[in-house]
Amino acid sequence: MLLSVRDLQTHLHLKRGILRAVDGVSLEVSEGETLGLVGESGSGKTLTGLSLLRLLPKGSGRIAGGSIALDGQELTTLSEVDLARDVRGRRIAMIMQDPMTSLNPVFSIGDQVGNPIRNHDIASGTQLRSAIVNVLTRVRIPSPAARLSDYPNQFSGGQRQRVVAAMAIGCSPRLLIADEPTTALDVTIQVQIISLLRQIQADTGAGIILITHDLGVAASLCHRVAVMYAGKIVETGPVRQIYRSPAHPYTRALLDAIPRLGTKRRRLAAIPGQPPSLIDPPAGCRFAPRCPLRMNKCIEPPPVTELAPGHTAACWTLA
Amino acid sequence: MRASLKGVPWLALLVLAAVLVCAALGEAILPHDPGDLDLGSAFLPPSWLEGGSLAMPLGADNLGRDILSRIMAGSRVSVIVAFYAILFSGGIGALAGMVAGYFGGRVDAALMRLIEIQQSIPSIALALILAAALEPGLSTVVIVIVLTYWAWYARIIRGEIMALKGRDYIAFARVAGVGTPTIFLRHLLPNIFNTLIVLATLQVGQVILFEASLSFLGLGIQQPDISWGLMLSDARQYITNAWWAITMPGIAIMLTCLSANVFGDWLRDRLDPHLRQL
Amino acid sequence: MGRFLLRRLGQGAVSILGASLIIFVISRLSGDPVALLVPADAPQSLIAEIRGRFGLDLPLWQQYLIFLGRALSGDFGNSYRWQMPALTLILDRLPATVELALCGLVFSVMIALPTGVLSAVHRGGWIDRIGRVFAMLGQAMPAFWVGLLLILVFAIRLNWLPAFGHGSAVHVILPAIALGWYPVAAQTRVVRSAMLDVLDSDHIRLARALGTPERLIVWKYALRNAAIPLLTMLGVYFAAMLGGAFVVETIFAWPGVGRTVVEAVFSRDFPVVQAGVLFTSILFVLSNLLVDLSYGLVDPRIRDAR
Repeated sequence: MLLSVRDLQTHLHLKRGILRAVDGVSLEVSEGETLGLVGESGSGKTLTGLSLLRLLPKGSGRIAGGSIALDGQELTTLSEVDLARDVRGRRIAMIMQDPMTSLNPVFSIGDQVGNPIRNHDIASGTQLRSAIVNVLTRVRIPSPAARLSDYPNQFSGGQRQRVVAAMAIGCSPRLLIADEPTTALDVTIQVQIISLLRQIQADTGAGIILITHDLGVAASLCHRVAVMYAGKIVETGPVRQIYRSPAHPYTRALLDAIPRLGTKRRRLAAIPGQPPSLIDPPAGCRFAPRCPLRMNKCIEPPPVTELAPGHTAACWTLA
Repeated sequence: MRASLKGVPWLALLVLAAVLVCAALGEAILPHDPGDLDLGSAFLPPSWLEGGSLAMPLGADNLGRDILSRIMAGSRVSVIVAFYAILFSGGIGALAGMVAGYFGGRVDAALMRLIEIQQSIPSIALALILAAALEPGLSTVVIVIVLTYWAWYARIIRGEIMALKGRDYIAFARVAGVGTPTIFLRHLLPNIFNTLIVLATLQVGQVILFEASLSFLGLGIQQPDISWGLMLSDARQYITNAWWAITMPGIAIMLTCLSANVFGDWLRDRLDPHLRQL
Repeated sequence: MGRFLLRRLGQGAVSILGASLIIFVISRLSGDPVALLVPADAPQSLIAEIRGRFGLDLPLWQQYLIFLGRALSGDFGNSYRWQMPALTLILDRLPATVELALCGLVFSVMIALPTGVLSAVHRGGWIDRIGRVFAMLGQAMPAFWVGLLLILVFAIRLNWLPAFGHGSAVHVILPAIALGWYPVAAQTRVVRSAMLDVLDSDHIRLARALGTPERLIVWKYALRNAAIPLLTMLGVYFAAMLGGAFVVETIFAWPGVGRTVVEAVFSRDFPVVQAGVLFTSILFVLSNLLVDLSYGLVDPRIRDAR
């Protein structure tokens, strides 16, 4: 198993209380596999991704419990220095949401792409230049050698996202975390980036965690999907199974909310209510207040039921 | 404005109060006559050094005059200059800013052009030639400061007025036939009052430094009047003999200016925080 | 870009023209310069002759136009005191003033940049707090007093550095410190604020996510962004140095335009005063104009914008 996360808890220490943003998340990613981490804003999916690299808000963010194991090695006990030297950008890399702000405007892309390669001693001197050109070619930037000294503002949005991808794969990471990589791009570019990620995975065998709120994007790239709500994972399973027969009421509601052509429905099927506050979360199922299948038993935390090999959900209706 | 006493800069207020008291009471509280020559005590060091005496706690200058008394006497000049300079530069500047901001058009363009031209001359240089053209003295210093700093007020007030001009109640007043002077007095002025107060207090420190610089160069206050800048200019000649004569008046300047700045910043944060970008 | 610059240059030229009028009028406001040139008991005929020779009997506006015309061809008249062209006197001393102003600027940036960076990185830490205290003190101390204290401590007491004169590199140290002292506070604030913004930005977060060591993040990737507001303002700070030079040169007997003008003011030497203040103003306006230029030079985003 490439990545194994067990009962991860990440807390944000705010003035008004401790926000339990990630509250007992467990997931697994195999080599060459893409796991989609799906949920609405505030569900904790981005923070889960950041926790893997321990990139939490300085001072307020803390990993309160759980384990993160990469290729069998426990990451939560590593020091900050070791984390920066061995893990970040080297064995786990990240692609962020907005390509317009992810690149430093006053440094050339050659410098920025070469930065991780240099820092992790992958190449130096004359070999560095060819390594940079190499990785830019892999992300399909045209005439990379000529563009090494160009600045980010000389590239389009889609190209910038490729440059960011190049920065990420420069050291051939084992795991790639893509945090909403397509959200800030228009649809035609989205397709290109998704196919780029697929290619990277095919070439390097890296695992990918795709964090997104867009079920369509998840469907086009992921092998498996984990649905997250209010800091907890509510359902995990192969993508086709989840989409065809969603087990958890929340997953079902999410899929129902997607407007479809050809239906007679006039109003969008929104989910009524709001996610609960995570400063003092309810003990039982967190979706219960908004759930159409709500029962009395839901005040207690629901057990995780395995519906089929690899397909699990946490709901009392399935127990 | 919340009526809380938290965060009030007490130390700064204390220093400012001390300066005002010295300026107001003058001769009544000075330990010595500041002009009293006593060549026997020339270069007397401060009381805590060897050879010093408590009679002249901060020492004496080259003519045996008590430095503490002279510092206290010099506060009067600082206060008077600050008061009149800020009153007039603020008044003229605010009026110009109000007129330009309200009437806009060519009046505004002319004012901005005038300010631009004046600001192409560094203020010290402008002050130099002004101070040289007029006879050196207190009124000259005030005039110089007014002519140098009015533009600062004008610019900021103009901005405020232009923002106010678009408000509905101004438009209503005009439609109702209210005369322009009344609009100025009853609608515009009360709204910029807070800003004016803050600007004035922020200026105090700068004015004190400016007057000190002018007097130091010999273009401001003249003998036998006392100004902190003038004291420093005198002391410069015998800097090797009496370091306290160079240090003490400077500390007075620094403390007063610092307190004024601290107080001004606090007032600005309370009354008109958006001026913070200045 | 070119057209914009041309327009700003034009505006600057108009400002200088207006400034020349102000300078001329004010310097004529004061006493009669003839009194300086002739002995007190000179006969009227001599006074009238001197007046005529210097054109001082013409109406004021005519005198101004003559002055302007001559100035544009480089003739500022002869110094009343030194009997040599005022322009030569000023131009000979201009390089020294520029040298001092540059050194003052270098000094202030050398202090402000690291202080601002460290204040932002260790926000609330001791550097931040001490820096703020020093900044407050620095803004309350007049430049001439700083100069006097520097002379007292470093030249007289410790005898490390010279207090007067102009010759080797060491001579510029104390005057540059006295001159550059005042803007350090404002510059530090600018750097600190810009740094705080940058450290929060997405690209810095990404650099950190990819394992960039913290010192590279601060001193290479963040700094270059944070320095931009400071660098673009360098023209303004240089202009401020020019203003402060008048007093600082006087204290340190620095052979620049500032000291010359101050002396000329006292001896009512109009040609020198006019030429000196005018050229200082020209430099002043030009350095402020530099700010508009520098945006394009420093920021690649603007450089490529059409």
